[in-house]
Amino acid sequence: MTTADLLPLAVAVPLLGAVLLAAAGNRLPRLARDVIVTVAAAAVLADLVALWHGSAHGRVVNWLGGYRPRHGVSVGIVLVGDRTGVAVALLAALLVLAVVCYSWRYFAEPPARHAGTFPALILLFEAGMCGFALTGDLFDAFVFFELMGTVAYALTGYHIEDPRPLQGALTFGVVNSLAAYATLLGIGLLYARTGELGFASIGAALEGHRADALLVTAFVLVLTGLLVKAAVVPFHFWLPDAHSVAPTPVCMLLSGVMVELGVYGVARVYTVVFAGPHGIPHGAFRDTFVGFGVLTALTGAVMCWQQRHLKRMLAFSTIAHVGLFLTGVALLTPQGLAGTALYVAGHAGAKAALFGVTGVLLDRYGSVDEDTLHGRARELPLAGVLFTLGGLALAGLPPFGLGLGKAVAEHAAAADLRWLPAVFVAVSAATGGAVLRAALHVFAGAGTADHHRPGPQATGDAEEPEIREASRRVPAPMLVVPAVLLAGSLAVGVLPAVAHALAGAAASFTDRAGYLSAAADGPAGRTNPVPQAGWTTEGVLLGCLSALLAVACAAGSVWGAKVPWPAGRRAALTVRTASRRVILPLRRLHSGHLGDYVSWLAGGIAVLLLVLLAQV
Amino acid sequence: MSRTARVGLFLAAAAVFAVVFTLACTGLPHFGAASHPYGTRAVAAALRHRTANVISSVNFDQRAFDTLGEESILFASVLGAVALLRPARDERESSPLPLRVPPSTRLIGAILLPLTLLTGVYIVAHGQLSPGGGFQGGVVLATGLHLAYVAADYRALRRVRPLVVLEVADAVAAGAFALLGLAGLIAGSGYLRNVLPLGTFNQLSSGGLVPVINAAVGLEVGSGLVVLLAGFLDQAVEIDTPPAAQDGDRA
Repeated sequence: MTTADLLPLAVAVPLLGAVLLAAAGNRLPRLARDVIVTVAAAAVLADLVALWHGSAHGRVVNWLGGYRPRHGVSVGIVLVGDRTGVAVALLAALLVLAVVCYSWRYFAEPPARHAGTFPALILLFEAGMCGFALTGDLFDAFVFFELMGTVAYALTGYHIEDPRPLQGALTFGVVNSLAAYATLLGIGLLYARTGELGFASIGAALEGHRADALLVTAFVLVLTGLLVKAAVVPFHFWLPDAHSVAPTPVCMLLSGVMVELGVYGVARVYTVVFAGPHGIPHGAFRDTFVGFGVLTALTGAVMCWQQRHLKRMLAFSTIAHVGLFLTGVALLTPQGLAGTALYVAGHAGAKAALFGVTGVLLDRYGSVDEDTLHGRARELPLAGVLFTLGGLALAGLPPFGLGLGKAVAEHAAAADLRWLPAVFVAVSAATGGAVLRAALHVFAGAGTADHHRPGPQATGDAEEPEIREASRRVPAPMLVVPAVLLAGSLAVGVLPAVAHALAGAAASFTDRAGYLSAAADGPAGRTNPVPQAGWTTEGVLLGCLSALLAVACAAGSVWGAKVPWPAGRRAALTVRTASRRVILPLRRLHSGHLGDYVSWLAGGIAVLLLVLLAQV
Repeated sequence: MSRTARVGLFLAAAAVFAVVFTLACTGLPHFGAASHPYGTRAVAAALRHRTANVISSVNFDQRAFDTLGEESILFASVLGAVALLRPARDERESSPLPLRVPPSTRLIGAILLPLTLLTGVYIVAHGQLSPGGGFQGGVVLATGLHLAYVAADYRALRRVRPLVVLEVADAVAAGAFALLGLAGLIAGSGYLRNVLPLGTFNQLSSGGLVPVINAAVGLEVGSGLVVLLAGFLDQAVEIDTPPAAQDGDRA
């Protein structure tokens, strides 16, 4: 067996695990099911670790079924394991393993006759994510993207006793499926023009055509599905509705890695397929998507601060961070990509840990509402510490991986637009601050219990508790897993080897000619210089600044009303007035109405089409 | 958003899309043009592997990995949909009453049921030779079984549909595809690579792995569809739903 054979195994192994669980799950005791799912998840991880080592000296390429290119063309599907793709798959596999361990004691008793369904779906989700990350074929990427989506809809609606998860899953399913049709239509246009389906072969074939309406339309349509999955404004509306109601372990996966896969897809599709000569110009891509990224980051941050439903708060913070990821990727520099890769890795650990701790709250109190839970979780000091650390990490506090990613991405962004780092700092402060505010309220009982937030809002009460014994102790895995995830997020920032490896991955990701050559069975290309991706004084200072601002926001919100000096009270009043003018309309847009979301989807496509046509 | 705003936004966006998409379509190759880059290559590759039905060659050989993903989507959909359709704690199952059906309808059903199943098997088995294959034949098999419901009643359908067996068959067939791919790896040539003799062109046993994978997909589609329909039918026929729970506010 060669290294290239490890590529399809990353899809086949979780599939076979899922088959075993679906076929025999009902007849096996719970322990056996847990063993099967854990072993399968660990096997995928081992496979990907081996692949990571195997890809150290260049891309690993596998033409499935032995259909290697003849005279430069092939009829088959190619899997390409470059270091970025493998790293993304590794991240997914790590999170899946964490989620599997977290879920050992999570559900009280799985539904009879469907005992193996939940772990089987988790493994199918993993197969979809790995396939998407490792494929070098546009249509194949679409297939695995759909597998991911299909499983995610089912997992979101898993608690059928409550109508809300089903509504969330329905919104998720409808919006994402419509976007998938758009992607398929775009693939159809590209196929009609080039007769090719591989990323590299389409990219090479497009170089012979000029940039016209067909190219722009195909680009926008293919990207629509990815942007919806990545929850980029105005395609983001489904995400908070789905994330706030999905089972907690599922939220860890959705927020931690699935949404980020959308951004990875955008970067891959643009760099390999559309970035060639006569493609979509670099400047047009950069300006457009830095714009969309900043808009997404700001919207997510403002909405995150407004939430009292903890899972909804974390969902909006994911949107805010995805906006920053998209901005980092859209810079199209190796350093921007390296920073984003570190950022995503650090974010996955911290966000999954935060969701994990929220799951503990849901388990014990049947609520994830910041106001209802006020002071009730004083009895869970360890959970409180983890939640606070998660909030600080989210705010970009050094030396967490999020902080390092933010620092590197900021540095790359400042080279493009001087004001971009301010957006990074503000968004980190708002999202981290919201989490810290919730930590102060819920775990420390600080401030007062009732907050007068204007306008419609989602409360986190009367959630379906996912376990039915309220008096029992918190199961160990439910705290150990978040702790390990936070440690992982810390390791990303502390270990220079991680940063160096991801910087190398980013350098080869931007090497379009090398990818095209490798996927056509040609010689390995030159290697781009590896960008700088370590801590700098500027990065540490900006990280400390955003963390300090987050603490200040949280403290101001909790104790602000009691401030003795009039200036403080006046500031609080101004904030309240501004929030009524600006934020209420924004909140009203998040109406929960599926028709609204579909209109926004159509509107987003139209805006992208016009903006890009004007620049080509 | 108000209804007017919503519809207005959608119509404006749709108008932009219509104009740009029409413009884009003018860049497509013309109908009836002589150049079909992928088609030419795919036919040649299908002939090399002695598969008469080129579509099946593309589905189960040249781009078999796509099909592996697609049948996993089907597998996941069945698994997920059946889990979502499971009876909730507040739902009661009740047995449907036998219905009086005219004897002529029963007779037609009794004749057509085996005929339809036979057609389904034929379409699956000849997938490598003539139009059809696992996906199409599987659908014929699954819908054919439901003639028992159409021509008799729900209890008759339950007798001809061993759900527990079919659930396992669905999973096993989905796994068989992934395992058949491993065969090439074990033989030392690579994932999803053909390991069987290619046979004689246009014979039932031609195309190497194509008929085998085709049969696995046929089994999966057939049993998966029956299980899926059973989930929906049980909800409609057997379950009394309590008054809908009240909807929460969100923003």
